[in-house]
Order: sequence, then C-alpha cells, then structure tokens
Amino acid sequence: MNDNTRPMHRPWRSVGFRLAFYYGLLVIITMIITISIIYMQTVGVLYQGMTRQVITVSQKLTTRFENGGPQALILDIQRELGDDQNTSTELLLYVDSTGFKLAGNLDQPPTKVDGLRGGDHRLMVRRGREISGYVIARTFMDGSQLFVGNDLHDQETMDSLVTRGIALACAVAFVLLVGGLFVFRQELDRSVEPIRRTLTRVAAGEIKERVEPLGQEDEFALLGNDINQMLDRIEVLMNGVRHVSDTIAHNLRTPLTRILLRLRTAAEDTSATAIQKKHIEDAIADVEELTLVFEKLLQIAEAEAGARRIDFQPVSLSAVVSEVVDFYQAVAEVQDAEIRLDVSGSPVVMGDPDLLAGAISNLVDNALKYGGIGTKVMLKSEVTRDRVLLTIEDDGPGIPVQELNKLGTRFFRLDRNMRGHGLGLASVVAMVTMHGGRISFDSATPGLKVFLEFPRHLP
Amino acid sequence: MSELVGAWRCLIIEDDEENANYIARELKDLGYQTKIARDGRAGMELATTASWEVIILDRMLPNEVDGLSILTALRGMGNKTPVLVLSALSALDQRVRGLKAGGDDYLTKPFAISELAARAEALIRRSSSVAESRKLEIADLSLDLASRRVERAGRLITLQPREFRLLAYFMMNPDRVLTRTMLLESVWDYRFDPQTNVIDVHVSRLRGKLEAAGERPLIHTERGTGYRMTADLQPNKKK
Repeated sequence: MNDNTRPMHRPWRSVGFRLAFYYGLLVIITMIITISIIYMQTVGVLYQGMTRQVITVSQKLTTRFENGGPQALILDIQRELGDDQNTSTELLLYVDSTGFKLAGNLDQPPTKVDGLRGGDHRLMVRRGREISGYVIARTFMDGSQLFVGNDLHDQETMDSLVTRGIALACAVAFVLLVGGLFVFRQELDRSVEPIRRTLTRVAAGEIKERVEPLGQEDEFALLGNDINQMLDRIEVLMNGVRHVSDTIAHNLRTPLTRILLRLRTAAEDTSATAIQKKHIEDAIADVEELTLVFEKLLQIAEAEAGARRIDFQPVSLSAVVSEVVDFYQAVAEVQDAEIRLDVSGSPVVMGDPDLLAGAISNLVDNALKYGGIGTKVMLKSEVTRDRVLLTIEDDGPGIPVQELNKLGTRFFRLDRNMRGHGLGLASVVAMVTMHGGRISFDSATPGLKVFLEFPRHLP
Repeated sequence: MSELVGAWRCLIIEDDEENANYIARELKDLGYQTKIARDGRAGMELATTASWEVIILDRMLPNEVDGLSILTALRGMGNKTPVLVLSALSALDQRVRGLKAGGDDYLTKPFAISELAARAEALIRRSSSVAESRKLEIADLSLDLASRRVERAGRLITLQPREFRLLAYFMMNPDRVLTRTMLLESVWDYRFDPQTNVIDVHVSRLRGKLEAAGERPLIHTERGTGYRMTADLQPNKKK
C-alpha cells in the first residue's frame, strides 16, 4: 500500500487541496472586484471632484480676463485667495508674458507648461514650500499665463489610507486562505480516512471489515453506509461461492477416492487378463489426475480468498531461489539443461517461504519442461528502492505473443499434448498476488520471460 | 500391512461434518477404527477418557475454539498422543509450523487423503519407535549417521549431502509410505506440492547409486502416493 498512502506528497492529487485552491482563487477574484469598486468610489470620485473644481475655476477666471482684462483677473485672483474658501488647497498664479508674477500664491510657474493645457501633476513651490499638485495652464492673447490648480496632499493621504486598507484586507484574506486550505484538508481527511482504511483492509482480504459511522449525517456518512451495504452483499456472495465450491469438492472427492480404492482392489485381482489390468491401471491414473486437479483448484481458491496472512515473515528471496535452483539442478542434468542464477543486493520480502518456494519452483519447472533438452534457464534477482524483482527466462520455444495474456488463466494450456492441467501458473499468480506482488510475461526471443515483482521489506 | 493398522484407533475432532465423515471413511478403508467429535468439548472428553494412537484435530472449531488450545490442554495433562492438526492455508501461522518440533504434525486443507494417511502413520510409528540409533540398517544396506558412511554388501557408496539426507530419511522410516511432500519437507526443508518429476529424479539417482552393482531394489514406488523403503522381496503385495 506504499503507492496509495497519504496524498500529502503530491498536493495536487488531493481533492482537499484542489477545493481549497479553487476557494482561494474565488476569494482573490472577489477581493479584486470589491477593492476596485471601493477604490473607484473613494479616491477616484474625490479626484474627479477636484479636477472638475479646478476646471470650473480656470474657466471662470478666463472669462473674467476676456471681459475685464488683466486687472480684473488680478483682482479676482486676490479675492479668490482671500475668501477663506479652499485657501489651503487652492493654487493660483498669474504671470505676464515675461514670466513675472502678477498675482497668486505660487512663487513661480510650474515646469513644462506645454503639457498642462489639459491638466497634469507638477511639483510646485507655494510660499517657499514645495508641494505636489494638479494644475491647468491657460495662455492669453497678450502672452500672459494663468495657472489654476489644487494641492494633492489630501488626495495622497486618502490614497495611502485606502491602499493600506487594501493591503491589510489582502493579508487577512491570505491568512483566511491558508487557514481554509488547512481546515478543508483536515475535514476531508477526517471523513475520507476511515473509509480508505477500511477499504484497504477489505482489499487485503479482511472482508468482514466495515466503515465505522462518523456520527454525523453528512455525505460521507451516507457514502460509508452505501459502502457497508455493498460489502455486506459481496461477503454474502463470496461465502456463497466458497460454500458451493467447497461442497462440490467434498462431494466429488469422496466418490473419487472410493473409485480409486475399488480400482486398486480390482488391479490386484489375479484372475484379470493383461488387457483388463491395463485398462484398470489407466483408469487409476485418470482418477488420480482428476483428484489432483480438485486439490489444485481448492488450493488456488484458498489462496485467492486471500485472508490476510498474519504469519508473513521477512524471507530472503535469494536464499529461496538458490535452494529451488539446487533442488532442480538434478532435473536439469538429466535433460542436459543449465540453470544459472544471478542475485544482486539483498532481496528480502514479507511472505511465506514455502509458498514462495512453491511458486518459484513451479516457474523453474515450467522453464525446464517447455525448454526441453539442453535449454538454458536464467534466474535473475534485483532490488530497487522499494521493490524486489525476479526474472526467470528460458531459451525454449516460448509462447506466441497473442497467447501471452492468457498465461496464468485457469485451465489454459498451450500444448495439450504436454502433461499438466493448466493450473500451475494459475496457482503461481494466486501466490504472487497473495504476497502483494505482480507477475507478467514476455517473449524472450526465443523463450519465455517471467517477471515477478514484490514489495521490498526493509528492516 | 492391514493387520498392523487394524488396531489403530483414531480420534477425529472436526466440526465440518462432510470433511469429518470423509476422513473417517477413508481411514476405515485403511483399517483404522475412527471416532468423530464435533466440537472442542466433546473432543477433549474423548481424548482424555479413551486411548488413541493418533488424534486428527481441526484448527477451527465451533464457538471460536482454536484447536491448538485443545492440544496445549492435552499436553498440560501429560497426554502424549500424537496429534495431526488440520489447518486452512489462510489460518496457518508460526504456532502451527512449530508443531513439528513437538513431535506433532500439520496438514493444510485441502489435502490428499493419501497424504493424511501417510502422515498419520508416520506419527504413530514415530511415537512408538525407540530412540534413533546412530547406525541404520536395511537388508544389506547400512548407513552411519555419525561418520556419514554408506555401504551396501561391503561396497562403499559415495553420496551428495542431499542424497545422504534422503537416504537417511528413508532408512529412519522403513516400511512406511513417504509422500513426495514429506520427502521434500524432510530433505529440503520446504513444504509445497513438488512437481511430480523432481522428487522422482532425486529418488531415481539415489536408487541408481544404491543398485549400481546390480543389487535388488530397496526403494519402491507407491502408485499415486510416494515411495517406500523395504527389505521385502515383494513390497507391493499386502501381507
């Protein structure tokens, strides 16, 4: 179960993380829209009011100049500055064509006058103090110039206040986002973990496990209920199947052994002719084969039922493999074959040495059986960080590629003339699966290559 | 061998009716007297009140009783009857494997009845036989466990270590049927269903060495079951 543990290592694969991420995205978009509106409604509106005011004053003073000439304008400016209205923010300056100040509260004209026809920001000096302001310039027929503007100090204060507010709101939103992410994950994990735990155990063969109710009637509790109902059903079906197969096996095995005993008694009858004896011997052989098939089938069923093995222990696969090879060396010698062994690293797996030896010997047996005279069988064991790999390769005739996927299916036999029942590989598959391993087959050009892969046990 | 077995009494403690009847019937055919107990209590009572040559005990009994606890109780009371424990592959654990150390044996379900019979017989004979001697002899064949010396009619026979173990196992169990699984278990220390021909190859090599000088065979094939070593001239005829 190493590859499906907690989703922490790859956050994107966690629903909790994704939900929190989308939720965060939503919060950020909402914030941007809200803040934009607030900004427009405060700083924006104030600024527009100010520029309108400046334009109105400048239009009023221009009209004054056109109707009354410079003198009337100077008077008006002086009155405007002395009327105690907006005097701290109002900026006014009237200069003649040589740039000499005729009236106003600015000490000198702003720089880059050409860019000021439509109004712009400039740094200016009012009564000796430098200020930042919005200003519009007008040039009259006689070359004199009028500057009307407004101090931007208030605007800037407002601006920085609003900006600070926005920054603070963003910080709060970020904290909420991170917190939300955490809470989401926690809440989801809390609801999903019990279900996952239960299902992992069920998958490992503990069919009696059930999802514990969480104590609240949410979607996950309903899901848990559904899963429990499904497991109840599966258990009933499994028990049914097991019962049926057990009964069949028992009921058929008993008469088979009786037939066998009767045949053996008959074989000892001295009055029988040689032909009769031959028939009886053949019948005995057939019934024995049939009994063997039943036993094998029951054994595979037992392994596939896969109740979790409590007595699995660390097993050195290299020791098992070399002992199996040693065991088969005699068979290899008889048919001039060769078995080679190549072990690297220390392949230790959790398992049952007898079952592992049984499975491996089955594969070696197949390799020798189908490889025939003079075949070379190569066993190679390697370890990776968390897996133990074992390949068994022969240089025999191999198996047609289109038949590879049928290997390991019960009763599948490539060559009906060879001895066997087509159950050997099926039992190997059952044993490997029982050990949490995987098995696959490939053509070795020529020959067959069997790959076994087990979870590595690290002390 | 029928008259030998005839007196053997076997207690079967097994709740599965079909399985119990099956074992009882097959053992009766082999000449045993059998009695079936359907649960732990009845089994315990029968085991302690009557005398048995062997007890066949199912691991899983009704009311969550573990067959091994019955075995422990029997041994606690000083009862030394050999016990053959039947265990499902999925219920097999270290304690079941440990049975062999205590002189008992186990068999995983499903099993071949010939395997059960061979193991039950081995248990009975082991418990009644005297302490192992250092030197084993059958007909004109002798094997010295200490010096690892094997001779047949004065001819020295050189054996590989595994061949020596195989022969020693045969000679320690004369006149008994030894299944291929029993041979694999005793000589190679693994218990699985060997593909039939592997053990056959090993046995035939051993036979070859034993009969190299044209001597008569001592190891005989038991059809469908395994092998038997005997000095009898007509081993397959029942006495």
